[in-house]
Amino acid sequence: MTTLEGLAHGFTVALQPEVLIYSLFGALLGTFVGVLPGIGAMAAITLLLPLTYYISSEAALVMLAGVYYGAQYGGAVASILLRLPGTPQSVVTALDGYPMAQQGRGGVALFTAMISSFAGSMLGIVVLVVLAGWLSRVATEFGAADYAAMMIMGLVAASTIGSKHPAKSFAMVVLGLILGCVGTDVNSGAQRLTFGRTELIDGINLVALAMGLFGVAEVISNIRRADRHGPPDRVTLRQLIPTRQDLRRMVAPVLRGTGLGSMLGALPGTGSTISSFLSYAMEQRVARQPERFGKGAIEGVAGPEAANNSAAITAFVPTLTLGIPGDPIMALMLGALIIHGIQPGPLMLEARPDMFWGLVVSFGIGNLFLLILNLPLIGIWVSMLRIPFRWLYPAIIVFICLGVYSVRGSVFDIAMVAGIGAVGYALSLAAFSPALLLLGFVLGPLIETNLRRAMLISRGDPMIFLERPIACGFIMAAVALIVFPVVKSVFRGRRTGALPPDPQGIWTKKKGRR
Amino acid sequence: MITHISRRGFTAAAIGIALTTATPVLAQEWPTGPLHVYVGFPAGSSPDTIARMIAEPLAEALGQPVVIENKPGAGGVIGVQQMLAQTDGHSFGVTINGPLTTAQRMIADVGYDAVTDIAPVSLIATTPLVLAVSSDFAADDAASFIEDAKARPGEISYGSVGQGSGAHLTAELFASEAGIELFHIPFQSYAEVTTSILGGEIDSGFMAPSAALPHVEAGKMKMLGVTSTEPFPQVPDVPVLAGQAGLPDNFRAELWDAFIAPAGTDPAIIERLNTEIDTILGDKEIQDKLLAIGWKAEGGAPDLLADRIVEDTELWGAVIDKTEAAE
Repeated sequence: MTTLEGLAHGFTVALQPEVLIYSLFGALLGTFVGVLPGIGAMAAITLLLPLTYYISSEAALVMLAGVYYGAQYGGAVASILLRLPGTPQSVVTALDGYPMAQQGRGGVALFTAMISSFAGSMLGIVVLVVLAGWLSRVATEFGAADYAAMMIMGLVAASTIGSKHPAKSFAMVVLGLILGCVGTDVNSGAQRLTFGRTELIDGINLVALAMGLFGVAEVISNIRRADRHGPPDRVTLRQLIPTRQDLRRMVAPVLRGTGLGSMLGALPGTGSTISSFLSYAMEQRVARQPERFGKGAIEGVAGPEAANNSAAITAFVPTLTLGIPGDPIMALMLGALIIHGIQPGPLMLEARPDMFWGLVVSFGIGNLFLLILNLPLIGIWVSMLRIPFRWLYPAIIVFICLGVYSVRGSVFDIAMVAGIGAVGYALSLAAFSPALLLLGFVLGPLIETNLRRAMLISRGDPMIFLERPIACGFIMAAVALIVFPVVKSVFRGRRTGALPPDPQGIWTKKKGRR
Repeated sequence: MITHISRRGFTAAAIGIALTTATPVLAQEWPTGPLHVYVGFPAGSSPDTIARMIAEPLAEALGQPVVIENKPGAGGVIGVQQMLAQTDGHSFGVTINGPLTTAQRMIADVGYDAVTDIAPVSLIATTPLVLAVSSDFAADDAASFIEDAKARPGEISYGSVGQGSGAHLTAELFASEAGIELFHIPFQSYAEVTTSILGGEIDSGFMAPSAALPHVEAGKMKMLGVTSTEPFPQVPDVPVLAGQAGLPDNFRAELWDAFIAPAGTDPAIIERLNTEIDTILGDKEIQDKLLAIGWKAEGGAPDLLADRIVEDTELWGAVIDKTEAAE
């Protein structure tokens, strides 16, 4: 079956009324769970799973997939408007989206997020259709050494970004790395930093950490202002439409974000959270005026949103073509397929072309639906800010608790989110960047396990990092990222080690906002 | 004074007396409310899927809802802990073998004893592991694999899903019975292990038949043997390892999933649950559903499960002793 025949076949599957309705339902539900802080696609898919026993396998998978990519749209909303990331993937969207909202450009930021998400998804689908075979080969070629090298490069790229306080940034990354060590050591089975608590054996819950650092900390710092109202009172259509300059600035970040996101999404060892972080880092590095980042740069919203949405699409490549799920949500999808008697793997494209192509076409339809649905909703989301804080913030705290509990039904995690929130507030008073802490937390364990695994595989020979072409490339890039700014400043006769100016503290939370 | 006792006060006192005398729950009236079944793994995982397959017909048979409570963490230990923390007489658990056999050795303080704190109800299902290698690997059967490993001790690597996992201990048991030395590389999931085998990073791995099957069908992997004592229905062509290439006839390494209750549960309740579950597992439809996700329905008396816990604790304890001594 050629690609065109496959697509045509896919349309006949995806346009069946039952499949179509479940697809739209999934996408809609995904948007809503994405908007609610802490309640992610994982919780929604878990709840829907038993329902899928009673519907056709196409409808079931299409619905679950809709929840998954729908959540990527919704996550941006609270992130931009309230600095409360709905999902870990949308943490970086807050870095520039929230300043935009404070400048009264919340509508534009949301519009940007939606358009970029849509563009990222659609381009991701094209990548999926055209490159699925190639991507699945790359996915198996990628070894432990390659992952380790890639993540090291990612950490270097994101954490050497100009900051007023390089020492503070470094401290946050290191703290993130330490928190990432909590739990069971994969190689020895020993427990690290768990203080004898069984709840910590699997490590700190990412959702609890993100919600505590951003959500709870933000609520605490707004207590003083609890009796005041939020900024914009009315949203006119004009405020939603980006200016021509905005649109021009979005194009390149969306394309770069999609490229990065589709690649990282297809690798089973990474995920959409990492893709949004790295896309942000990349945008800031290539920007002509990097000092605009953190103050409402539209590129800082467009790139990461395109990246996490395209990653959500290409994440299906290893799941469907290799039977290898890249994250817990994909593992659930795989489980749903197996329950329906479909074994994803190298033969799935031949064995069940209806399923594969039907899913691909449903991605397109679902994303189009999400765009049409979300654009008119922007006005409603923005008007959410008119709810008095004394009502809004307690409600948010309730949703955070629900969301954190939904991850693994643990009361311990709720206590943890409260504690982390207090720490997050203290950090924000001292102008430390919680985003960098999260970066260290997400990348640290990946670097560690892959580095140690690579060393085991090579029987202790570090040359494995230079012998494997992919790993070697990433290591060189990491070195270049460290050396290049130094060389550049020496050549310009500047003081060695001077970083791009950053009067506002890009990765650091500003005091006295609003 | 007596005449001043209000009717409300009297009723309250009467209910109070009734409540105190009503415990422990009498088996004839049981169940008086919904059952809560604690599962130490997230929704959608195989222990959870199995628990839900049993829960629906069980609820029908008992005339009360059966609610699955997912309390994932620490390899299933948290689910067992949470079950033991309930004292309502309606809380049970579905767990894989780990928390009842090896967890005491892997975790400093699990807070319970698998023999004295747990009342076995019924074995639900078992699954073996298969020894899988890349299709490029020279050996085509277990005997030549062992021969190859003897020729180059410690050089053939295998992936597991973590230190102390079933996949790790099975491989160590296999190596020790075969008199060979293999090189262990821990991963976190079968997905990672299979990717690594396909990419040629590692040589082999013991894994669930369903994890290897799609790659075997695509010609990228081969299965050299299965760890059950009889051929496993999902992969009927794969020979059993027991009795092959110098391995003992009773060589067996299976994962299992079981229904448990807190110790001290009324024996009549255990009996009732065991009978219902045994009937459910006898249903062909349930058996097929289990097999579709890689598990073979078992059932049997509570004692069968009790024996299994003791046997496996001993078997894996010895393997853990050996690996710890080697380190």
